Amino acid sequence: MNIAEEFIKIRNEELVLTNQRAIYWKRENALILSDLHIGKTGHFKKHGIPMPDAILQKDLERLEALTLHFKAKYLFVVGDLFHAEANEDMTTFKNWLLKFEFLKIILIKGNHDRLSKTMMVDFNIQVEIELEIDPFLLVHEHLEIHKENFTISGHTHPGVLLKGKGRQRLKLPCYQVASNQIILPAFSLFTGLNTRAQLKDTVTYAFTETSIFKF
Amino acid sequence: MSNFRDSVGLQLINNWMAEKGQTPFPFQTQTWQRYSNGYSGMVIAPTGFGKTFSVFLGVVIDYLNHPEKYPKGLKLLWISPLRSLAKDLAKAMTQAVDEIGLDWSVQVRNGDTPINIRRKQERLMPDVLLTTPETMHLLFSMKKNLRFFKGVKCVAIDEWHELLGNKRGVLTELAISQLRQYSPKLQIWGITATIGNLEEAKAVLLPYSNLKVTQIKTKDKKNIDIISVLPNEIEVLPWAGHLGGKMVDKILPIIESNTTTLIFTNTRGQAELWYQLLLNANPELAGLLAIHHGSISKELRNWIEDSISSGYLKAVVCTSSLDLGVDFKPVDCVIQIGSAKGIARFMQRAGRSGHSPYERSKIYFIPTHLLELVEVAALKEAVKQNQIETRDPMVLTFDVLVQFMVTCAVGIGFDSEKFFQQIQETHAFSYITEDEWQWCLHFITKGGKTLHSYEEFHKVILDEDGLYKVKSRRISMLHRMNIGAIVSEVNLMVKFLSGGYIGMIEEFFISKLKPGDSFILAGRVLELVKLKDMTVLVRKSKAKKAVSPSWMGGRLPLTSHLSHFLRLKLSDALEPGRLEKELRFLNPLISRQAEYSHIPKADEFLIELIETKDGYHVFMYPFEGRLVHEVFSALIAYRISKLKPLTFTIAMNDYGFELLSDQSIPISEANITELLSKENLMNDVVASINASEMASRKFRDIAVIAGLVVQSQPGTRKSNKSLQSSSGLIFRVLEDYEQDNLLLRQAYTEVFNQQLEEVRLQAAFERISKSKIIIKHAKSFTPLSFPLKVDSLRGTMSNENLDKRIQRIKAQTFKID
Repeated sequence: MNIAEEFIKIRNEELVLTNQRAIYWKRENALILSDLHIGKTGHFKKHGIPMPDAILQKDLERLEALTLHFKAKYLFVVGDLFHAEANEDMTTFKNWLLKFEFLKIILIKGNHDRLSKTMMVDFNIQVEIELEIDPFLLVHEHLEIHKENFTISGHTHPGVLLKGKGRQRLKLPCYQVASNQIILPAFSLFTGLNTRAQLKDTVTYAFTETSIFKF
Repeated sequence: MSNFRDSVGLQLINNWMAEKGQTPFPFQTQTWQRYSNGYSGMVIAPTGFGKTFSVFLGVVIDYLNHPEKYPKGLKLLWISPLRSLAKDLAKAMTQAVDEIGLDWSVQVRNGDTPINIRRKQERLMPDVLLTTPETMHLLFSMKKNLRFFKGVKCVAIDEWHELLGNKRGVLTELAISQLRQYSPKLQIWGITATIGNLEEAKAVLLPYSNLKVTQIKTKDKKNIDIISVLPNEIEVLPWAGHLGGKMVDKILPIIESNTTTLIFTNTRGQAELWYQLLLNANPELAGLLAIHHGSISKELRNWIEDSISSGYLKAVVCTSSLDLGVDFKPVDCVIQIGSAKGIARFMQRAGRSGHSPYERSKIYFIPTHLLELVEVAALKEAVKQNQIETRDPMVLTFDVLVQFMVTCAVGIGFDSEKFFQQIQETHAFSYITEDEWQWCLHFITKGGKTLHSYEEFHKVILDEDGLYKVKSRRISMLHRMNIGAIVSEVNLMVKFLSGGYIGMIEEFFISKLKPGDSFILAGRVLELVKLKDMTVLVRKSKAKKAVSPSWMGGRLPLTSHLSHFLRLKLSDALEPGRLEKELRFLNPLISRQAEYSHIPKADEFLIELIETKDGYHVFMYPFEGRLVHEVFSALIAYRISKLKPLTFTIAMNDYGFELLSDQSIPISEANITELLSKENLMNDVVASINASEMASRKFRDIAVIAGLVVQSQPGTRKSNKSLQSSSGLIFRVLEDYEQDNLLLRQAYTEVFNQQLEEVRLQAAFERISKSKIIIKHAKSFTPLSFPLKVDSLRGTMSNENLDKRIQRIKAQTFKID
């Protein structure tokens, strides 16, 4: 796994955008990520749709590598950590958690996060509706009411469509950085891309397996 | 056989026909007799010759002669590809049994059948049931379906040629194999129009060794008049595109001088456009002109069909939705707008006019761009030589197999060993291996290959009685919704705000519109108000201009057969024969192509190189039809990219293909023989298929049929959102983690079998290797290349480093969307 990094400074905070779908926030020693959708493969299987286990394994391996690389103490998940009901994937996740005794996870509840409070306690995950850590407001979905704050959110699974000469078309996952918000790409690789939701006056950071590109 | 000749049943039928002033055709009598002698078989007759009454009355006569052989309930199952056929057939059959004095009930069962009638049928099946392959499978998914079919004596497959060659044909094969389990002495009859491979068609339908098999063919031939309509001057027609709206003035007098005209277009979008064009040109047609296609509400379609029969309508603009079906008596003229894409389809459409046996059919061909004039010359030649396409049956379609296995598991359950034997007897799966069977079984019970067994996967389980079954209600329901092999785009219902259903529209089209925008559907101009659940709410629009929708499905490729004739005619076009008015008319344009570039003669192969602000273009013209060009172009792109890392955008149509790159393409007299070499052909083809998106595109249908992608149903409030994914995503995941997945492999095989036709590609390269290769540098688009620029399907292929590509796009003036 190759971690490419792009340093940006927002409201005097140093943030590291990575091509592995998470931001590292230096001051808080935290990784910020969104839309892991743990349990999605399990949910599909429960409904009779076979999916390879390796999907979740790979997502967790990436998260592990990022955590170790930055020696992060916090995971701020801005929503959709889980996909649906509790299923066997939760055991996989719990086993993964055992490796990180000192890692503190805070979940900003997303529209998919419907697991019980007891389970969250069991996972040792702190759940919030939104979380203000100056100068940012962490939410799942950026809404009109948040416009006074600088939000960091997810939810939309942003992607970008690049058009080049010779009718070339390329679709890549990306971060969208605007004057009052950042939208994160979906962390899980088992997600689609939404190239329609373009914001005004946005800097787009698209990425590949090896690099990050600013547009 | 004097027995049968003197039988009560035959006499009754002969008398009944005599009363109506009819005598049976020889092929009908022959079918009746063979049926009575216990044969299965295939009847080959053109439309309008009473093929329905060949098999149907065969069963009636046998019943009249031996009523004791027939238990109460279902006797004859009639499977036809189109729902709309069933209604009119049932009417005709009901009328016949009533007049003959038989107390049979004839009923229809398909997706349109109201639920109370369905329940009634499940309590007691009618004597004759008209249905579709999909509905058959739905019946198999019911818990106690054995009792429906125990007494069935005969299954008839109507319009078999329409089913053969696609996955619905495989569904039909499987349905027959299942019926044979219930009723081992079942007689199986196919009814088909003429196709190029009748023997094979028969073998696919009737692979069972214990059957007595026969084939009955009419000697009568339909005579067709093909009339091409030429514009007054050549400039009226565009070089490409698909409108040719100026031809409207030529169509109006044709409609005027005939009783009822069917106007065929190739896509639903085109039908909407021509409906508007004709109405604008002659407002008096309002009320006498209708539009008919698959996305229009059922009620409206029924009304239109009735109004054609009664002679109320003067003309109907339609699509393949009216290709098949019972005959509309008043129709005496057919107009084909644009290419019909195939010889068989063209003849079938022509046959919709002048339907009675000894009448002539009359079809007018309206070209919408200039190259289609060559096509009509090619069509005439093919019809003259009576050369009709083959329909090649599909084999080893594992997506359909796993669907069927789950269907039966939802129904009465299956025994693995017996079921495997049953499957192997069908044509489609006669070559399935034990390993492949085990994989399928594993796929539906364990969820395919997984690292550790997954406790919660309970799709199909082995029950205590040794049968494989589905126990979960939710999985059963999901599966039933998914039964079938027609994969369509996500469709949304279009309704007026005030209520009232208009038709269906594809989601991708509506997603490009904003509230307030206007579009055309069912001949009406509508304003988009909002999207709610899976429904598009609209109101009448006052807008003068509106977009007409495009439907993704509906672009048919030219058949290989027609393209062969096309190639010959194009090279004739330089010196057209005295009688070929199309080619004579076209001569100035052909000369222009000859002047700026070149007209490839039968022994030449033309390549054009053009540089524009878009980049570097290479055009090649194999004239092999779009499907073959898709493989051909990927192959050439692959070979070129071995010389230099490049990214190509590939475009193809039925005549040729284009490779476009933002960097210069190393192609020259020096290396062209190498690039077009037949050496290493198949290895390079495999490599190029792997490098392109072709297999991923094929996987779209496979994923849906095999139940990997859950389609949301139009009109439903809930859309199973948490189970949504795309076939592209699953394709990628399987490529990464499960390369030996049989469904993934099937996607590649389908590219091979359906598009590539190894033999034909070999032949094409053989031909090209003997041809004189001509490379022309043109300054701008030529008459041949222009259509590829504006109207074609596109794909991409790249062997460049992704990061480098992005950097270059960044440096170019790029646009973000």
